[in-house]
Amino acid sequence: MSTKESVEVKPNNHVLQEDQQKDVPLLGHEEENEIPKIVLPADFRKCSRTDLVILISRMLSFLIHINDSMPKGETKELTRFHSRVPPDISVFNYLMRLTKYSSLEPAVLISSVYYIDLLSSVYSAFTLNSLTVHRFLLTATSVGSKGLCDSFCTNTHYAKVGGVQCSELHVLENEFLKRVNYRILPRDDNITNCKMEKQCGTFVTNTPPEVYKTANNGFNVLNTYYRKIIEIVGSFHSSPDKTKKVHYSLSPSSSHEAPRETSKKRHFDETNNPSNAHSPSLKKPA
Amino acid sequence: MASSSQFKQLEKLGNGTYATVYKGLNKTTGVYVALKEVKLDSEEGTPSTAIREISLMKELKHENIVRLYDVIHTENKLTLVFEFMDNDLKKYMDSRTVGNNPQGLELSLVKYFEWQLLQGVAFCHENKILHRDLKPQNLLINNKGQLKLGDFGLARAFGIPVNTFSSEVVTLWYRAPDVLMGSRTYSTSIDIWSCGCILAEMITGKPLFPGTNDEEQLKLIFETMGTPTERTWPGVSSLPKYNPQFPQHLPKDLGALLQSQTREKLDGSVIDLLHGLLKLNPDKRLSAKQALNHPWFSEYYQ
Repeated sequence: MSTKESVEVKPNNHVLQEDQQKDVPLLGHEEENEIPKIVLPADFRKCSRTDLVILISRMLSFLIHINDSMPKGETKELTRFHSRVPPDISVFNYLMRLTKYSSLEPAVLISSVYYIDLLSSVYSAFTLNSLTVHRFLLTATSVGSKGLCDSFCTNTHYAKVGGVQCSELHVLENEFLKRVNYRILPRDDNITNCKMEKQCGTFVTNTPPEVYKTANNGFNVLNTYYRKIIEIVGSFHSSPDKTKKVHYSLSPSSSHEAPRETSKKRHFDETNNPSNAHSPSLKKPA
Repeated sequence: MASSSQFKQLEKLGNGTYATVYKGLNKTTGVYVALKEVKLDSEEGTPSTAIREISLMKELKHENIVRLYDVIHTENKLTLVFEFMDNDLKKYMDSRTVGNNPQGLELSLVKYFEWQLLQGVAFCHENKILHRDLKPQNLLINNKGQLKLGDFGLARAFGIPVNTFSSEVVTLWYRAPDVLMGSRTYSTSIDIWSCGCILAEMITGKPLFPGTNDEEQLKLIFETMGTPTERTWPGVSSLPKYNPQFPQHLPKDLGALLQSQTREKLDGSVIDLLHGLLKLNPDKRLSAKQALNHPWFSEYYQ
């Protein structure tokens, strides 16, 4: 695809402002100060990208809030993802901008949340905070689009939309791919394998792949993340991100998939730090 | 990860779609490798094909899939270190052309290659990966008669629910009729069609459907396999590029057609397998697992 419309990059432009206003069914004027409720489809491919971006921004803002308040002594070394000062554009506006101008697919948006956990699991210096979130999102979404989708743009385009030099995006892309050892497929066993390779210092482990064969061939990760994100930040009150006054919940029809539920849950708790069942991307404050 | 100094670069083996391949020698182990050099483009960064090939091939450890050992990143290029293979099926078949007459392979070798091809494809499909570019050039062989799938630059994982599926996949001659008619909901059956085309090509030494454009490709397919109708393939008329004016053809006798192009005696069994792999309706096409269980392969069952 060549989405090469010229995009002016300036901070604080409110991309898709009109979208923020529409599709908000006012479901009732009950208690909760008239906060509307939106029921999201069980299949994330059918979820509106605006809603998905709102949810993901809430999730990231929630993590950033916690990670930014980590005691100074624990401040980690600088990474390539660091900005000198927090960029002016909000997480929501930045992600909306990337989504709109780089035509990000829902799977790529959710993968970028998964990539936080993937990168953190093998790169301890990396933390998602207000200094790293922009470069991280730009890198994660462009790598996700190029690696997982059939339609994607050039780095020149992604860099322009994201507001960095193209040469810097090349470096960021390479840094990300090397750190995660090119393990960008969101599969159940991926983080485990990635850690194992990191430990052994090898490009590939010699584990026979059969060992990992699970139901649905391990492609439940994105569904799991979608559900968890709604669970954690579906409520308007749950996150510092107040972009849209709305409560999100998951369509109850998704409970029809009950048989798969157990394996998904188990996976989530196994792959990620069980003491942080809330979200693995969450670094616990000391 | 390895460094480039670990390998001695030897002769050039070929130019791929996005890379140049050299033979290499691992100086520490003395093992030959294939070094696929990918130029890092100033616009593109790491090419999507390289990202896919690396991320997918890491998952695929199987004796009928070329092993990716390592990736070396230097200033302006990426080098993928692969298992070394002596030849590819295209060059091997070309080398057997006598004068201007392409020769098919011995039927026992055809069977052994097709068996290995289907084993590799079955493994990809079990791991929810579509190759999407199966053709003789991408099937590597070695002097032990082993055949392995290579070049996963167009491959993709199909368990990941993404919305866009390109119909610009698979080299024209090996592209399935549903994909030619613009289907974007294809799945494993896309690779099976290619396996059928390759089987016929190994028998006769000539590509089965050598079209020069999408339209001619469909025409060649329908002339031999018959023009599909709603009755033979429910849903065909709602494909984006379906044309009600397609000339109507009845299926030809595939057995007689191939028999006229080879000296080997073809039995009904291999023709039956071909029909299973080359079903126009993708839902009716055999799966790789089913094809491996076909009676033509019975001598390999234990």
